[in-house]
Amino acid sequence: MLKYLNSRRNAAALMSVLSASTALMAQQVAAAPGEKPSLFYTDTTFVIVLLLCLLFFVIAYFLYRVKSHLDKMIDENVEGGRELSRYDKVVKPWLKTLNPTVTALLLGTIFGLFAFVKAYKFGITEVGVQKGYSPTQPIKFSHAMHAGKLQVDCKYCHSTAEKSKQASIPSANTCMNCHKYITLRDRYNGQVSPEISKIYKAIGWDAETNTYIPNYKQKPIEWIRIHNLPDLAYFNHSQHVVVGKVVCQTCHGPIQEMDQVYQFSSLQMNWCINCHKERSVDVANNKYYESLHKRLKIQGKTVYTVAENGGLECGKCHY
Amino acid sequence: MEQNNQYWKGIEEAEKQPEFLQTRGNEFHEALPLEEVLNATDLDLSSNRRDFLKFFGFSVSAVALAACQKTPVKYAIPYVVKPQNITPGNANYYASTCGGCNSGCGILVKTREGRPIKLDGNDLSPLSKGATCATGQASILSLYDINRLANPLKEGKEEKEWSKLDSEITSKLANIASANGGIRIVTKTSNSPSFDKALIAFKTKYPTTEVVVYDPISYSGILLANEKSFGKRVIPSYNFDKAEVIVSFGADFLGTWISPVEFTKQWVTNRNPKGGKLSKHYQFESTLSLTGTNADIRVPMRESKEGIYLISLYNEIAKLAGTAQLAVSQNAELAGNAIKNSAKELFAAKGKSLVVSKSNNLNNQTLVNGINIMLGNYGTTIDLENYSNQSKFVEADFEKFVNDLSSGAVKGVIFINSNPVYSYHNSSKLVEGLKKANLVISTSDQNDETSDLAGYVCPDNHFLESWGDAEPKLGVYSFTQPTIAPVFNTRQAIESILLWSGTPAVEANAYNYIKTNWAADATIWNNAIHDGIYLKPASIVSVPSFAANLIDVASAIVTDAPKSDTSELIIYQKVGVRDGSQANNPWLHEVPDPISKVCYDNYVSVSKTEAQSKGLKQDDLINISAGGYTIKNIPVLIQPGQAAGTYAIALGYGRTQSGKVGKDLGKNAYPFLKIANGTTSYSNGGVSIETTGDTYKLAQTQTHHTIEGRDYIREASLDEYNKNPFVRNENKADLVSLWQEYDYSTGHKWGMAIDLNACTGCGACVVSCHIENNVPVVGRDEVRLRREMHWIRIDRYYSFYSPEAYLTKEDDIEKEKADIYDNIRVVHAPVMCQHCAHAPCETVCPVLATTHSSEGINQMTYNRCIGTKYCGNNCPYKVRRFNWFRYNDNDAFDYHFNNDLGKMVINPDVTVRTRGVMEKCSFCVQRIQAGKLSAKRDGRKMQDGDVKTACATACPSNAIVFGDMNDPNSEISKLYKNERSYHMLEEVGIKPSVVYMTKIRNVEPSKLTEKHS
Repeated sequence: MLKYLNSRRNAAALMSVLSASTALMAQQVAAAPGEKPSLFYTDTTFVIVLLLCLLFFVIAYFLYRVKSHLDKMIDENVEGGRELSRYDKVVKPWLKTLNPTVTALLLGTIFGLFAFVKAYKFGITEVGVQKGYSPTQPIKFSHAMHAGKLQVDCKYCHSTAEKSKQASIPSANTCMNCHKYITLRDRYNGQVSPEISKIYKAIGWDAETNTYIPNYKQKPIEWIRIHNLPDLAYFNHSQHVVVGKVVCQTCHGPIQEMDQVYQFSSLQMNWCINCHKERSVDVANNKYYESLHKRLKIQGKTVYTVAENGGLECGKCHY
Repeated sequence: MEQNNQYWKGIEEAEKQPEFLQTRGNEFHEALPLEEVLNATDLDLSSNRRDFLKFFGFSVSAVALAACQKTPVKYAIPYVVKPQNITPGNANYYASTCGGCNSGCGILVKTREGRPIKLDGNDLSPLSKGATCATGQASILSLYDINRLANPLKEGKEEKEWSKLDSEITSKLANIASANGGIRIVTKTSNSPSFDKALIAFKTKYPTTEVVVYDPISYSGILLANEKSFGKRVIPSYNFDKAEVIVSFGADFLGTWISPVEFTKQWVTNRNPKGGKLSKHYQFESTLSLTGTNADIRVPMRESKEGIYLISLYNEIAKLAGTAQLAVSQNAELAGNAIKNSAKELFAAKGKSLVVSKSNNLNNQTLVNGINIMLGNYGTTIDLENYSNQSKFVEADFEKFVNDLSSGAVKGVIFINSNPVYSYHNSSKLVEGLKKANLVISTSDQNDETSDLAGYVCPDNHFLESWGDAEPKLGVYSFTQPTIAPVFNTRQAIESILLWSGTPAVEANAYNYIKTNWAADATIWNNAIHDGIYLKPASIVSVPSFAANLIDVASAIVTDAPKSDTSELIIYQKVGVRDGSQANNPWLHEVPDPISKVCYDNYVSVSKTEAQSKGLKQDDLINISAGGYTIKNIPVLIQPGQAAGTYAIALGYGRTQSGKVGKDLGKNAYPFLKIANGTTSYSNGGVSIETTGDTYKLAQTQTHHTIEGRDYIREASLDEYNKNPFVRNENKADLVSLWQEYDYSTGHKWGMAIDLNACTGCGACVVSCHIENNVPVVGRDEVRLRREMHWIRIDRYYSFYSPEAYLTKEDDIEKEKADIYDNIRVVHAPVMCQHCAHAPCETVCPVLATTHSSEGINQMTYNRCIGTKYCGNNCPYKVRRFNWFRYNDNDAFDYHFNNDLGKMVINPDVTVRTRGVMEKCSFCVQRIQAGKLSAKRDGRKMQDGDVKTACATACPSNAIVFGDMNDPNSEISKLYKNERSYHMLEEVGIKPSVVYMTKIRNVEPSKLTEKHS
């Protein structure tokens, strides 16, 4: 590959390969199934802005050429030339005093730095950050209805949040605890709600006879995962929910008001760190911290943050 | 710094060979071959401005393009119906029995979301008492072996329908039985009551059936000797824990002999000098074994002379006891005073001593029995009543079977998980015989040498997919339960046997069948499956009467002994690979042999003396012949401690039919075995060798990561220790620290203690760590380049034993005096990251990827690491490993990380590292975090033992202790204050969190002190 770069002709070939691969990649993105454009980032707006920029640039360029042509004509046809503008009198001679190389380098550096800072900021705040990500799920499950209006406890469905690393998405048999009976036939002309019947289809429930279909080939419901921590970070729900006594909404936002769930927090490391710096550990009510609590009392310390307890150390989450 | 030259890792170090001296200080084996790579593509390293801009532009655009890809859509797919006892994200443990060998150790299988990912020992097992060995640890990977048979085979072609096969097989069996043709079931030693019952059902249906027991490794010498001596054809239970004096003739009871985990657990109970006493362990052997390295006194001995040694020992003891000696002419002074001394000590410890022998010779074993009877060891250290069922193989039965097969008397053969075509010494005769049979069935789960010749292959489940019961010792029942549904279309062998005997399918189901067998008492079954163990009260031990005539035995020994000292070839088992049945398991090949530190190959071990006289050098390829069989092109390894005039080759290699890892790896030594006096002989006289002129570089790790002769190991004799428990530890380094001390008072301070006196070097910790921490397998070529990835390694140090050698400075060692290498001592030192308080690695990392935690852990953050390797360079223990390649999803590393099945063994709590990062021991931080969390969740204080690292749980000798040093009552806090505890390289002032404990040998002090004084 490197060898190819050595000749100019091959560089051109390489460019075409690169563009072809970009196109391929773009196709791949388009082919990703079941995905809806999210709130924060769409391809179309980006392309339209790009095209508009190009258009304005072309118009400006043409106007400039027209103007300079007219200026030239005035200079040739009118005696004594046209009246010199302030630009011609002051700026132009000054510009001529500048060394073109130095100026170009200076401007280039300033522009480059500016672009770099912008790109860096974009890189760390936008790339891979899915805040606001709200894909359409295979079943139009409404948290606003279940958790908000009906006041079903979060942990009824996300039952392992207090026990395990994962809060876990409920299995279909958990849904069936209620939806054996709740079919919403009254709203769908005597038919089972199409969304509820998706559960029945997954688990094999015959809504007419109210029985499970024997030997049914069950198919799991493929929910789209919204909160994607990278594999290099270890997060444990039970640590935060039970030990840290953090309520679900702290990280997941007003979930009881969401019809379609979106990612509320950025899930970036600084978001984790900030919380660890602010929140205090409840050392008084957990026997695990008994000796620590005693010592803190002697020191007269009342607030003991997660960070002070080692919550900022790399090896607490990355291993 | 004073250079302590007492210890050396290999002959190249002892002799200070120039090549070794040149490379030992290098961080890497060789300079990076950058020039070479670039020259290969006609590029030189110099580049002009234009090139630079091109590369720059190319990289920028490539990065930009790569960044354009959007985050892929991920799914979260829950169960449809969640099994009640599974909590996603939490592990479940099931008690079961290890199937790595026939010892029947109890295990706990750790499963995550229904897939087994780790084996730990079961504390309730009276045999293994919570420990495991390297072979057992690694056996979990055989479950996820992509080379397992996915379907049954008929004439080599896949046949998915079991029912079709069953009807064909049953009709063929019925035909054979009705025509009065013989049917044989060849099975490895079975100690399962249910399986034995199933065999009876089969015999009832087909009356011409006989069951033939076949094991690749034979202990028939012991079985037959006990029959001759006591009328009981059994292997007794040995109690090494009750023995104050142990004399072993070649028996590698800590490594490979009968039940090594059980024996290690027992042996180590008398190896703590705290009470001022240690057991005394003599080892007479020809090839340096794991047990030999741990003996107090190890005497090199030609294996053919063993009988003579035993007679001398008998006579010496008889002299002391005042009983009749065996009148034998050949009773010379052997091995200096070792026999005399051991006899004296054995006699002094009458009833609390033990003599064991590896020999498979009936006469030798009878004489061993005679010695033990004379010493009154029966009923104390040897228990014939509660005997072992771990091996029942007697050659005569199998020889008869092979003869019957050749004569055409046997028409149907069923091989139950046994592979004699590979491991039988006269394989070609067996293969010819099998051609005469009408029906050959194998239940092997891989296409091995035997199943390759079978008309039907009905693959058995892996033991982690099976139900089972076993009685490895009389009255000790160990249960097996499945921890995963069968991965492939396989069926348990017991089920196949039952179905072929006409048992209805429901009854033949392994679970139903075994449960019914235990139905007499319903409470037994549920508890037994929960605990994995069910114990019947032990029989009362009595002293048996000895019936053998030792005079005849002795004269037979003298007659059989070789008259002249010709060179002899010893065939032995290696720790890990053992008999070769798990040859396709990359973990077993990647872990270095505990003695030679060679990975991936077998070789001829040669003593330095022999090598010099024959002009052999390390890595020479030779052809070696003995007893009419020749192995061509096998590399030479010069092994210190090898008895002069002996060669040794390990079994378990040279598989011609195995998976991608095991196939054609090393050379097969089974054909060297021969039957002598009815039992398999593991030594062969009249060896001839010829050099080929070629060489083959063995992947040997022994001098990788060498610490340049610094004072690493401390050892003393028991007498010295009793006079001064601080011996060798008196002068603690007086340290002035330039660094600020860390405050560890907030929570925990983790620490580890490693008892050099207990560590046998078996390698269980290495494999356990490998599994727990997703350490990649790198393969032979990478090991040659010192790129093995093990987070924990066991350094094996030699030192000279003979007093003359002690008085010689290492620099003055005369290379001509090769025989000083025959007598050596060994220390095993496991080394992992020492988690220094003032870690040198932390201060040099330019990106803060390695940092210190408030709990004393030296943390490694892979996602920060940019791979400068400064930390590895600055680490005095050389425990940091650089990850050179993307080992997962990479077909250049074709082991288990590149296929979906093999990846199922990955521990989901530990990151799979990518290339270009440093990695190292984390003190199993995932286990620490899990242990802390469960205490916090329950709102309780942490208990000692809540957190154990993977190495500590696996260790069969309790040599590794892990715990919280802020807890004054924890075992680790106590060990930290122990007189024997010291830090490796404490003079450097880096304050490691790991302490080592001085090795105390039960030997006369003079031999250890001369060097130091």
